[in-house]
Amino acid sequence: MSHFLDRLTFFNRGDEPFSDGHGILTHEDRRWEDGYRKRWQHDKIVRSTHGANCTGSCSWKIYVKGGIVTWETQQTDYPRTRPELPNHEPRGCSRGASYSWYLYSGNRVKYPLVRSRLLKLWREARVVRTPVAAWASIVEEPAKREAYVSKRGLGGFVRATWDEVTEIIAAANAYTVKKHGPDRVIGFSPIPAMSMVSYAAGSRYLSLLGGVCMSFYDWYCDLPPASPQTWGEQTDVPESADWYNSGFLILWGSNVPQTRTPDAHFYTEARYRGAKSVVICPDYSEASKFADLWISVKQGTDAALAMAMGHVILREFHIDRQVPYFGDYVRQYTDMPMLVELVKQNGRLVPGRLLRASDFTGDLGETNNPEWKTVAFDEASKSIVAPRGSVGFRWGEKGKWNLEEKKSDGEATKLQLSFADDRDELADVDFPYFGNREHDHFAGTDHPSVLTRKVPAKLVALKDGEKLVATVYDLFVANYGIDRGFGGAHVAKSYDENVPYTPAWAEKITGVPRDQIITTAREFALNAEKTKGRSMIIIGAAMNHWYHCDMNYRGAINMLVMCGCVGQSGGGWSHYVGQEKLRPQSGWLPLAFGLDWGRPPRQQNSTSFFYAHTDQWRYETVGVEEILSPTAPAGPWDGALIDYNVRAERMGWLPSAPQLRQNPLDLAAKAQAAGLEPKDYVSKGLKSGELQMACEDPDHPDNWPRNMFVWRSNLLGSSGKGHEYFLKHLLGTTHGVQGKDLGETGKKKPKEVAWHDDAPKGKLDLLVTLDFRMSTTCVYSDIVLPTATWYEKNDLNTSDMHPFIHPLTSAVDPVWEAKSDWEIYKAIAKAFSRVSPEVLGVEKDVVMTPIQHDSPGEIAQALDVKEWKKGEIDPIPGKTMPAVTVVERDYPNLYKRFTALGPLMQKLGNGVKGMAWNTEHEVELLKRLNGEVTEEGATKGLARIDTDIDATEVILSLAPETNGEVAVKAWDALGKTTGLDHTHLAIPKEDEKIRFRDVVAQPRKIISAPTWSGLESEKVCYNAGYTNVHELIPWRTLSGRQQLYQDHLWMRAFGEALCVYRPPVDLKAVKPVIDTKPNGEKQIVLNFITPHQKWGIHSTYTDNLLMLTLSRGGPIVWISENDAKKVGIADNDWIEAYNSNGALVARAVVSQRVKDGMCMMYHAQEKIVNVPGSEVTGQRGGIHNSVTRVVVKPTHMIGGYAQQAYGFNYYGTIGTNRDEFVIIRKMKTVDWLDKPTADQPEPLTVAPKNAPETKLEAAE
Amino acid sequence: MNLTLKALSALLTYPTAEIQSVSGVIGTVLAADSLIPRRVRTDLQALVDDIGTGDLYDLQERYVLLFDRTRSLSLHLFEHVHGESRDRGQAMIDLKGQYEEAGLYMSAAELPDFLPLFLEYLATRPLKEACETLGQPAHIFAAIAERLRKRDSAYEAAFRALVALSTAKPKDAEVSALLQLPDPDANDLAALDAAWEDEPVNFGPGSGDGCKDGIVARVRGAMRPAPDMPQRPRS
Repeated sequence: MSHFLDRLTFFNRGDEPFSDGHGILTHEDRRWEDGYRKRWQHDKIVRSTHGANCTGSCSWKIYVKGGIVTWETQQTDYPRTRPELPNHEPRGCSRGASYSWYLYSGNRVKYPLVRSRLLKLWREARVVRTPVAAWASIVEEPAKREAYVSKRGLGGFVRATWDEVTEIIAAANAYTVKKHGPDRVIGFSPIPAMSMVSYAAGSRYLSLLGGVCMSFYDWYCDLPPASPQTWGEQTDVPESADWYNSGFLILWGSNVPQTRTPDAHFYTEARYRGAKSVVICPDYSEASKFADLWISVKQGTDAALAMAMGHVILREFHIDRQVPYFGDYVRQYTDMPMLVELVKQNGRLVPGRLLRASDFTGDLGETNNPEWKTVAFDEASKSIVAPRGSVGFRWGEKGKWNLEEKKSDGEATKLQLSFADDRDELADVDFPYFGNREHDHFAGTDHPSVLTRKVPAKLVALKDGEKLVATVYDLFVANYGIDRGFGGAHVAKSYDENVPYTPAWAEKITGVPRDQIITTAREFALNAEKTKGRSMIIIGAAMNHWYHCDMNYRGAINMLVMCGCVGQSGGGWSHYVGQEKLRPQSGWLPLAFGLDWGRPPRQQNSTSFFYAHTDQWRYETVGVEEILSPTAPAGPWDGALIDYNVRAERMGWLPSAPQLRQNPLDLAAKAQAAGLEPKDYVSKGLKSGELQMACEDPDHPDNWPRNMFVWRSNLLGSSGKGHEYFLKHLLGTTHGVQGKDLGETGKKKPKEVAWHDDAPKGKLDLLVTLDFRMSTTCVYSDIVLPTATWYEKNDLNTSDMHPFIHPLTSAVDPVWEAKSDWEIYKAIAKAFSRVSPEVLGVEKDVVMTPIQHDSPGEIAQALDVKEWKKGEIDPIPGKTMPAVTVVERDYPNLYKRFTALGPLMQKLGNGVKGMAWNTEHEVELLKRLNGEVTEEGATKGLARIDTDIDATEVILSLAPETNGEVAVKAWDALGKTTGLDHTHLAIPKEDEKIRFRDVVAQPRKIISAPTWSGLESEKVCYNAGYTNVHELIPWRTLSGRQQLYQDHLWMRAFGEALCVYRPPVDLKAVKPVIDTKPNGEKQIVLNFITPHQKWGIHSTYTDNLLMLTLSRGGPIVWISENDAKKVGIADNDWIEAYNSNGALVARAVVSQRVKDGMCMMYHAQEKIVNVPGSEVTGQRGGIHNSVTRVVVKPTHMIGGYAQQAYGFNYYGTIGTNRDEFVIIRKMKTVDWLDKPTADQPEPLTVAPKNAPETKLEAAE
Repeated sequence: MNLTLKALSALLTYPTAEIQSVSGVIGTVLAADSLIPRRVRTDLQALVDDIGTGDLYDLQERYVLLFDRTRSLSLHLFEHVHGESRDRGQAMIDLKGQYEEAGLYMSAAELPDFLPLFLEYLATRPLKEACETLGQPAHIFAAIAERLRKRDSAYEAAFRALVALSTAKPKDAEVSALLQLPDPDANDLAALDAAWEDEPVNFGPGSGDGCKDGIVARVRGAMRPAPDMPQRPRS
């Protein structure tokens, strides 16, 4: 009998077990859920992101309820990737999720604020004077200027109206332009990629004015100079999704889960897929937990580790056994087959420069740029050839700048890597060794300073006789200390010999057991062999922030190149430090730098600028002899570090701001009076001494920067390396500098720079900061302007971590008096146009610019370095000195120009990275899209750029990445130079035009463009170098290949022609002060490391209450248990860290995580939150930058030399800071400085006598 | 469980081999139930026999044509109450809530207003309550029975039985209102096309009820005939 009728067919009674019996069905009342439903109710959701400098570039949903932003959650609507590849979402971390706190926080800047002393002076002066005259009356009267300058950082702000502050700023700018020159008005803002219109607002204003935009990527020390040196590219990296394609991931000094949180899932997923991972990191970081092997390397010795791994890879994959893929790769894609002359020097041989076609009789048949065409030995024809692709083919001819294995005439070649088998002799060649230099805290070895090794060489007939030459490959292998059976000293057969650079040698330097080195190198290479290059190194700031970071980086790059990983999916070099990738760059450049109205703009490398103008050079402790190579060619290697910078500026290698002691607005008239072209007038004047470069006397008042804008940045706080020097010299206020300058200590002074015994105190007349929060920089400013937060403005955002472009949009109007950066600079421009006719009209501005990378000028001095100052060569603008251009400024019409797209776009077209194309269609499109200017005047009929959205459309329309039609034009332009057709990469997307409203609807994947070396395709993830390898587009270097041999004279002089290990430099900041201010506590000297943290980076600074609550509520320094024990420090004790640069206070975090001998203070902790007074300085606290000082490196100043030519944020000195040591001790007394003291200003107006004592501390 | 209601639920379910195999039991259960008038019981037995002995493919083909394809015979009760009105969604949620209050959780891939499912629910309730609840849609049962009668379908008996079980008897006015609606042949393709044709929307003066929103549109939506019904002549 069936039980059918007794059984339920359509229902169950909820009593059957489910989920393997683990499930439980409950029946309680669920009406309480309605409370939550109401809590999360909202009126609208707006798409925005966090946009000053967070690389995450995560799209967020901003919830608005009753006109108030209530919270944010992650967007999850990124376009899908493709089958078998995880998607990009979810993106966003706890820091982003707490951002909305800022909108209504007590720390919000709500009104325009002015230092009251300044405002009082202004209002008094303004009663009887016109604006510019009023400003003149203040700054030309020392007592008046001193009255507000000396009180910077000590409170004393009052509110003012927008009309009043913009007039003060405009008057100050106009006065400065007229009196000193527009190159004395400077502005600093970082990372445009994250809110490109907000950046462009200020830079457009400055550029139209003739002011100077300051670089950030190099100053932040995010720029790895090894990248331009090797690839001719600022930085280009795989998107995070490409990690998933890797089979072997080394995380080297990069803490992905903590600092790249939204991307970390790709790393985890790659490991699930079976990828192996080695994490190299001194401390037990978040990332270390993911490692198959954690290598705890001694901090700062990474290059030694990389060299030893390179030794193993060369030995096992190139010498004892040759992997065909690796051999073919280095032959075609690197300079390894190129020939290097071996130069006799003091009776010994050292590697010299790369041979050029011009060294041979008949120039090897090359008529165009033979001095810039590198040569190699062709196995096929048994002759020396100049293969295509070198920089000489890039300029002055068409169709041969490519990586086809061909000679100039089209004949096929097979370049020979080694002369081992057909050598003429085994030459004894000298290589420098630095690992024997003494350092109190870093172990060295006692090998000699010069290591002579056998290198197979050929005798070759050159124009000036026979010479020994070797291939880069043979020099490269010898440099690694590999014994190839040639005999001789300083080479090793076994890994256990203590010879640079064996694993046994590296064990002594790095503390890493040799078997870990051997295993990692072997597996890294083996994976690359099996997968054709899918081994990847994710590299972080921990590697780049050292003085000799280039060695860390080139050591790692060498490993990748040896294994054919660069330009291959899942392989390559993944440097995620800072965020450089403004994808629609070529659309943005005209808007940002006013290229539609005048070219070129003034741009300055910040590190050299701040080194000079915060007078950090006056305290230099590192001598050139300490870093010079024992094998340096003869040369003028004396002087101080700043002398090299001055020489670089004079030769047109690095930019100069201010440029000359003279006002650039006066030069054109003087030239005319002298009957000369301005450029001839300038070169003649420099030669005769009538004109002087400002850099030769940075402390002379004629050469001071006078007005400074800071926006989207905490320049004086988190970004102010040598913070206390900024305070002392640039701002002229109270400071904590402890050390004495070269004058006081009687040390050798620079040769090229004038010395003033009285150092300037307060070079700036006016410091204006735009911010939404009262940052450390705001606290020190004269005028603080309240800007819109990231949820209150419209803008665009891109990153190198993912291929999407997406917006910031205005969820609510800016609260209180705040305005967007775009509107603020528009208002300043308007005020300027009104005020400036008092002293300025249409002016001719003589602009000096350094020799630019990716321009025909980048091939300036091919074979030698000759200085006009020393009479070795004539000053030729753009070749042996800066280029000189006259730019017309229409000051009364500056506002009109700001708000319209100027005529140069149609007249001159647009371009980027050496490519150029016309923009007629795009300009017409913009006229229709944004409307034409209808008002009579200078801009009638031009496309409007009135609102921030208008500005985004300018970027999107002009850029190949967001306008398919432009992409095709750009690829076509490149194809003319390479002689290959690349348009197939963009033709499928020719009709795609991304508009602002499109990206508001959903993030859009950008279109492949030749601006970048990877592709945005449905087949591969974005990976740098991909089009070099797969489209045969040369790297933008001297040889056109990955440049592993750096042959510039200065590179050879400083011992970095090939990668070597160089120990950290001794900054000597401890000894002068260690016993000067005892407090009775024991002291310990530790290396000072400043990584990114968990409770605040970029989307929330370390003042966000929600984040602080999760940490310790204020500044902290991590130290190891052992070190803490030695000096009696317990966890959470207040400690002080100090050296001759200054002092900081923090709580101690005592942790097993930290390696002995180092301490970590997380980057960007603010002076304004929970910071008591310092026992050492008597001032409030200090920040992590209080104990640092910038030290510049001569090799970063090279210019006019193919890849080593200047580009804004591309090449230049960098702000390294990890070689620094500090003294740490427990504090005896914690003084909150909460009583009025002498250096706190008396209130100007009547205030309550017994103001309540406020304590900044959150919780004790 | 009330076996009569459960049996009726089974009879109105898509005929399967399992139902075929239990047709004998169903016949026995129904024969024993005096709540259903004898004449109806006899007719029901014919349906049970049909199902028990017929070719399964023929039975299934008949069921699909009648109940899946013919909108006027839909076994989803709210089709006859709410049509395409938005009210139907909330009505279904409420009905599902009613089941859950009774401790029953839907486990079949069906909608809450599916008649066999509804009958199974009623089978678990006390008979008095079940018969009262059954009275609410009694006019729908009566109308469907009438339409099935016109088709000479054995299923008519099942609906007559439901009417007989209901405490409240269907009001003639309600039944005849339902019977006013067209009841075409599901295989009439021209009628099908006509039903699915988009109505032109007119704006501006004289367009009358041209606007899709608002009460007029809602009424029209609710009154919209099933896809296989010819358009009623416009009034």
